[in-house]
Amino acid sequence: MLSDAPTLHVHDLTVPLGGRSVVRHVALDVRPGEFVTVLGGNGSGKSTLVRAATGLLPHTTGEVRLFGTPVADFRDWHRIGYVPQRPSAASGVPATVREIVTAGRLSRRRLLRPLRHADKAAVQAALTSVDLADRAGESVAELSGGQQQRVLIARALATEPDLLVLDEPTAGVDLEHQQLLARVLAAHAARGVAIVLVAHELGPLARLVDRVVVLRDGRVAFDGTPDAEAAAFAHSHDQHHPLDPNSSGARAGVLGPGWQAGERR
Amino acid sequence: MSLLAYDFMQRALMAALLTGLTAPAIGTYLVQKRLALLGDGIGHIALTGVALGLLTGQAPLLTAVIVAVAGATVIEVLRLRGRASGDVALALFFYGGIAAGVLLTGLAGGSAATLTSYLFGALTTVSDADLLLVFVLAALVLTVSLGLAPQLFAVCQDEEHARVSGMPVAAYSVLISVLAAVTVTLAMRTVGLLLVSALMVVPVAAAQQLTRAFRATLALAMALGVLAAVSGVWVSFSVNAAPGPTIVLLALAGFVVASPLGGWLRSRRGVTMPTDDLHDLHDGKN
Repeated sequence: MLSDAPTLHVHDLTVPLGGRSVVRHVALDVRPGEFVTVLGGNGSGKSTLVRAATGLLPHTTGEVRLFGTPVADFRDWHRIGYVPQRPSAASGVPATVREIVTAGRLSRRRLLRPLRHADKAAVQAALTSVDLADRAGESVAELSGGQQQRVLIARALATEPDLLVLDEPTAGVDLEHQQLLARVLAAHAARGVAIVLVAHELGPLARLVDRVVVLRDGRVAFDGTPDAEAAAFAHSHDQHHPLDPNSSGARAGVLGPGWQAGERR
Repeated sequence: MSLLAYDFMQRALMAALLTGLTAPAIGTYLVQKRLALLGDGIGHIALTGVALGLLTGQAPLLTAVIVAVAGATVIEVLRLRGRASGDVALALFFYGGIAAGVLLTGLAGGSAATLTSYLFGALTTVSDADLLLVFVLAALVLTVSLGLAPQLFAVCQDEEHARVSGMPVAAYSVLISVLAAVTVTLAMRTVGLLLVSALMVVPVAAAQQLTRAFRATLALAMALGVLAAVSGVWVSFSVNAAPGPTIVLLALAGFVVASPLGGWLRSRRGVTMPTDDLHDLHDGKN
C-alpha cells in the first residue's frame, strides 16, 4: 500500500482561516516525478492549500496524506522540502547564506551531533545549484530580494527531499535565474521528486509543468494538462496567460471572466 | 590595592562573569525572534517572585525563578496560539508583575532599599549560596543555548520552515522563553531586574554591527557581555558607582563604538546595495 501511495494525497480538504473556509472540499493527488502547479488569483486559497498539505494549518474536513501517512502521524519530514512565501530570508540577527541553507538539513540531523560530511556536501550542492556558492559566507540581509528567494530554495533543496513544495518561489528572481531554477527543478523531477509549485505566473517554469490545478474561491476550478488549460484559457480575452513564458504581469484572476471550468477527470 | 583580596569582590566578579556570558547567549535568540523586549517584561514579572520569597521567607532568587519561568511560559503559549493581541496582553503581564511585586514587598515589610537591590542589582551582597545557584543556572542556560544552537537558530529564523522540518517548534519556543526567564533571575543580583534586558540585548546589537554570521554574532555578543560585566564591576568599585548601571552603560558604549565601525566595514565590502541582480528590483514587487 505504501509503495503505490501518491506522494501527496489531498481529499475533500476544507481549511478555515480567520473564521471562513479558504479552501473548500479540494482534492489533489501528486505522484512521484510529477510537476503540479497550483494557480489562482489573490485569495483563491492556493497558498492555504499547500500550507494545510504540509501540516502548517489544521483542516476541518477531508484528509491529507504524505507518502501514504496521515499528516498528523507523519514523521519523515526529511522527505519534504518546503519554500515558504516570505518577503525576506533575514531575521533580527545576521546569518550567512550557508547558515540558512544548512537549516535545511535539520530534519536529517540528530540532536547534539555535528554536521556530517553528507550534510556539508548537500548544502554545497544546493548552493551551487542556485548559483550562490560564491556568496555562501555573506549575510543574507545584504542580498537582493531575488537572491534571498534563491537562498530559501537552496534550503529546501539541501534537505534532498522526495516532495518539494514551493510557495511563490520566483518572486523577485531575475529571468536568468528563473531559467536556472527551471533546469534544477527539471533534474529533480526526472529523479522522481514530486513538485508542487504555487505561482502567480510561471515564466520559464511553464514548460516543466505536467498538470495545472486552478483554484478559484477555494475550490478547484480546473485540473488538467497545461495544453487543456491553455485551450480553455483561449476563450477568454485580453488576459496575460500565466503559462506563457513571456508573460510578465498577469496579476488579475488567472481565468478570464465568464470562463467555465472544464473538468477533465 | 587589589580588589580581588576581598571575598565579596571575588563573588561579585564571578557573578558578573556568569551573567555577562549567559545573558547575551539567550538574548541573541530573542533578538533573532524580534522579541528583544521580552527579557524586560520577564524582569517585571520576576519582581513578583522576589516579593513572594520575601513574604514567605523563602530565598527570593528561587521564588523569582519559579514565577519568572511560569510567566514566560504563559506569555509564549499565548503568543503561539495567537491569543496575545500584539503587545497589549504582554503589557498586562508586565505591569501586573511589577505592581504585585511592589505591593507584596510592602506587605512583607520590605523597604524601598530592599526593592532597589533587586531592581538595580546588589552585587556586593551576593552570598556563597547565591553564587552557587547562579552558577548552576548559568551552566544550564549555556548548555542548552549552545548545545541546541542549530535547532534554536532554525526555529527563531523561520518558524514555518522549522515546523515543516518536523521540529517541535512550540516546545523550542517555550524553552527559549524559559531560558530567558532563568537568565533574568540569575542576572537579578548583577544588573537588577530593570536593567537585565539591556545585558541580553545591547551586546547582541553591538556584535551584529560587525558580523555577518549567526555563530559569530553569538560568540562576539557573549565576549562583549563578559567584557562589559567584568569591567563594569571593576570600574564601579574603583569610582564608587553602582555596578548594574555601570555595566549597562559600558555595554552601550560598546554599541556606540561598534555601530560606525560596522558601517565602515560594510562600505569597505561594498554591500550597502546589492550590485548584481539589479533587475530583481524591478521584479521585486511581485
